Amino acid sequence: MKISLNWLKEYIPNIKKNDIFIEELTSLGLEVSSEVKVKKDTVIDIDMTPNRADCLSIIGIARDLSAIYKNKIAYPKAIKFLKLKHSNILAIDKKISSSYSALIIKNIDNSLKTPFFIKNRLDMCGLKTINFVVDVLNYVMLENGQPMHAFDHDKFNGNIKVRFAKNNEKMTALDGQNYTLMKDIPVIADDKKPQAIAGVIGSEESSVTDKTKNIIIESAYFTPNLIRRSSKHFRLQTDASYRFERGVDPLINKYAIGRVLAILTEHTSIEDFSFNHLSAPKVAKHINRSILVKPNLFESSLGIKISDKFILQTLSYLGFNPKKSKKGFSVTIPSHRFDIGIAQDLVEEVARVYGYNNFKPILATNSLNNIKDSTNQFDGYSDLLVARGYNEIISFSFIPKGDQSNHVPKTKIASLVNPISEDKAELRGSMINSILNTCAYNFSRKNNNLRIFESGKTYIKHRDKSIIEENILAGAISGINSESNLKNEQVKLSFFDIKGDLLSILPDVSFEVNADIKYIGKACQAVIKQNNKIIGYCGEPEKSLYSQYSIKNQIFYFELMIDKITPISSLKYKKISIFPKIRRDLTILIDDEVIASDIIDAVQRKSFNYMITSKISDIFYNKSNLDIGNKSMTIEFVFQDKSSTLRDEQVNDEMEKIVLLLKNKFKAIVRS
Amino acid sequence: MPKDHTSLISDLEEKLKECSSSHDIANIKSQYLGKSGIITNKFGSLKDAALDERKELGRSLNILKTQIQNLIAAKLIEIQDVKNDNKVDITLPGKNISTGSKHPVSITINGITSILAKYGFTSVSGVEVEDEFHNFEALNIPETHPARDMHDTFYVSDDKLLRTHTSSVQIRSMLSNKAPLKIMTPGKVYRCDSDPTHSPMFHQIEGLYIDKNVNFCHLKGVLISFITEFFGKDMEIRFRPSYFPFTEPSAELDIKFKGKWLEVLGCGMVHPNVLSNVKIDTKKYSGFAFGLGIERLAMLKYDIVDLRMFYENDISFLSQFKGLK
Repeated sequence: MKISLNWLKEYIPNIKKNDIFIEELTSLGLEVSSEVKVKKDTVIDIDMTPNRADCLSIIGIARDLSAIYKNKIAYPKAIKFLKLKHSNILAIDKKISSSYSALIIKNIDNSLKTPFFIKNRLDMCGLKTINFVVDVLNYVMLENGQPMHAFDHDKFNGNIKVRFAKNNEKMTALDGQNYTLMKDIPVIADDKKPQAIAGVIGSEESSVTDKTKNIIIESAYFTPNLIRRSSKHFRLQTDASYRFERGVDPLINKYAIGRVLAILTEHTSIEDFSFNHLSAPKVAKHINRSILVKPNLFESSLGIKISDKFILQTLSYLGFNPKKSKKGFSVTIPSHRFDIGIAQDLVEEVARVYGYNNFKPILATNSLNNIKDSTNQFDGYSDLLVARGYNEIISFSFIPKGDQSNHVPKTKIASLVNPISEDKAELRGSMINSILNTCAYNFSRKNNNLRIFESGKTYIKHRDKSIIEENILAGAISGINSESNLKNEQVKLSFFDIKGDLLSILPDVSFEVNADIKYIGKACQAVIKQNNKIIGYCGEPEKSLYSQYSIKNQIFYFELMIDKITPISSLKYKKISIFPKIRRDLTILIDDEVIASDIIDAVQRKSFNYMITSKISDIFYNKSNLDIGNKSMTIEFVFQDKSSTLRDEQVNDEMEKIVLLLKNKFKAIVRS
Repeated sequence: MPKDHTSLISDLEEKLKECSSSHDIANIKSQYLGKSGIITNKFGSLKDAALDERKELGRSLNILKTQIQNLIAAKLIEIQDVKNDNKVDITLPGKNISTGSKHPVSITINGITSILAKYGFTSVSGVEVEDEFHNFEALNIPETHPARDMHDTFYVSDDKLLRTHTSSVQIRSMLSNKAPLKIMTPGKVYRCDSDPTHSPMFHQIEGLYIDKNVNFCHLKGVLISFITEFFGKDMEIRFRPSYFPFTEPSAELDIKFKGKWLEVLGCGMVHPNVLSNVKIDTKKYSGFAFGLGIERLAMLKYDIVDLRMFYENDISFLSQFKGLK
């Protein structure tokens, strides 16, 4: 809210001319977000929190400041309506307005120029000048916070009715728009039709121009929720609705209209006016409510002792009526404070005047240790991947509509009811889309060498409509091993790079064929298992995904279901043999269909004497001296005994058994 | 070591410095260790020494000889290496350099949680798809609060939404663990908002401390220490009153950054209604809570101006953060 500093100063007596209270405003919770010098004045913009409806006026802000300056504010003069000269008939629905004032002025010259100071102040506060009466209404609204509306009496057919609209009633408003009303929208109507959407905007038809002679001025309290509903429904926020929906002091409408009349009569002669006011017995729930604050609450909440004198004084300046008793403080809430409901609210009132920055910080570092850390499941793996050259990415949890239709069944896709755009319409059911999207983005920027990973969630809708979130660690590689390498050391990344990376971070997992994952191609697809349990998948993405993301570079992808991984926790040390190891290589010719793990598994299962490791150390395909359909494989075996030095003959015996096994089982031919 | 031995060594060192070829070194070697070299002679004169000193003298001579041999050998290797072209051009590129990096959001979360862990906060996570109770009602956010608008909240179904803050995790923790409690809740949150300063998904961390006799001074203590540690220097900090439905009193913490006050986090004493909603006895317990946006803090710390950088995942951006944890 924009206000003029000079205007604000008028209501705080004895304030020094040069006092700039920007710091004070901010420390009260009325944060000054900007200040602009305008001639001899300063315009400040205050970011008003939604609870402080009482500060949507100069008087309201002055009242807050008065608690700091310890000066009662000087309320501007208004005309008091002692006797009602005329009783215009009002039919008011008390659910809409529990306090309603109307003033009818006859024969006013509305072509008068708006007084300069009013025009100037409206301008500084960001309001347009319209015509004499409307400008005065706006001026009083800025001053007191009471929005008011003026109708052209001659265009108003009969009596004022505050009622709910009928379905399909129509109104053309001041903004030139046509509004179709419905039955829960409160309106101000004449005998025939609505002339205003209550508290939001008036009709064009009964609007006041500089030619208007006879005017009805409305000053009312409207039930905040109803105004909010109208404003939301029509997506229309006005200076009036903004205040009404937050809560205008229900007891000032009569005063505000008197204030208007006081200003008008200073600038023109008004002889014929009549006033009416209707009010419910209980205008609003919060009025005259009393709250008991226990004597120790201020200290126990705030951590320091604040004197009774300070508490009583502060609350009085803010408009409360506090009384000290043995039970504590009994505090009556003023009509302008909608936001005060419990004792703790009063603690804040005292604290903000005392100054948040005047409380001494105390650092309590005690640890309770009664809860298990549940967030770090990714941490270790992330660190290891980073060390192996992966960049961590973070993608949106939502992906474009249709992007996952090939691999997530429609019934399992969780869609947003109100997406921000079509390209952020569905929650991801797997990580592949996020990963490929990032690859594509980087390829388009010529970042061709990638090692990326993301630790995030996937979202799958279940039959009962609940949504299951799963923690996934996924990633991809593409390009060459390292840009830093000299040309002859640069190697294109392959499936075995990703396999190597995964085995480095999870040494106890195995890779098996026959994964059944739709988005990974059949040619290069592995299921990752730990203790015979599936914990993830890897391989090359399925072909259609390459075209879906317009990717030409080869990519290898992996994903791990983090919650299914068992960290290696119990490990028992095995005694190390001090006797020498003997290494033997065996090269065999073998059918192409036989895969590496068949051979290693067969050898491992037999548990040959002294053999401690066996691994594939070399492989050749379709060399000229081999038959087509065969491959040459070299297997490296290492032997060691726990209690003595092995002799060659002992190892030879075992090697013979191994050769026999491979011959029988795989028709292997030993090459010399 | 006898004095004359010490000076002998330093003499030799001086002489070796002058050597530039293996020939020079051979000369020096014969001067010391040759048939009539200094050391050989010294061994020769051992027999003239008194019988009881002979043993000790012999030992120190042996030490001297070894030292001289080592010095000469080292110099010889040095000269040969240079000569044999074995010198490595260590300025050539290193092999298989990995430019792996953590995402700046993760780095920032780690930075924050490791500081708060020292103050006794335990990290807790929770679901992102939430219901109205845990995201709004339990937090004293009335139906009419702006945060309840369709405009701000993503809905997945009539009664399921994407959490708009990690306070929902606090509610779940309070319901299952009761008081006392000292937790922090980092994670993704979602708001129906997108412009250069707002992202529909971003990260938050919130802290919550519920115990006996927790007051506003404790809140200030944790936050001032935290900000100072996070930025690694004393910052100009101010607290100002603000409004959140779930805290009372409520405050916002601003820091002076490049001459301007910037809002970095919201905080306050937990509203009694929130404690009652999770069945914590407000007569016995009180607490404070705070929450802050990770991206915002990361932007301040790393001078990032465009929020969108975080989710574009351009490797050229990400790899700048290598080396940070």
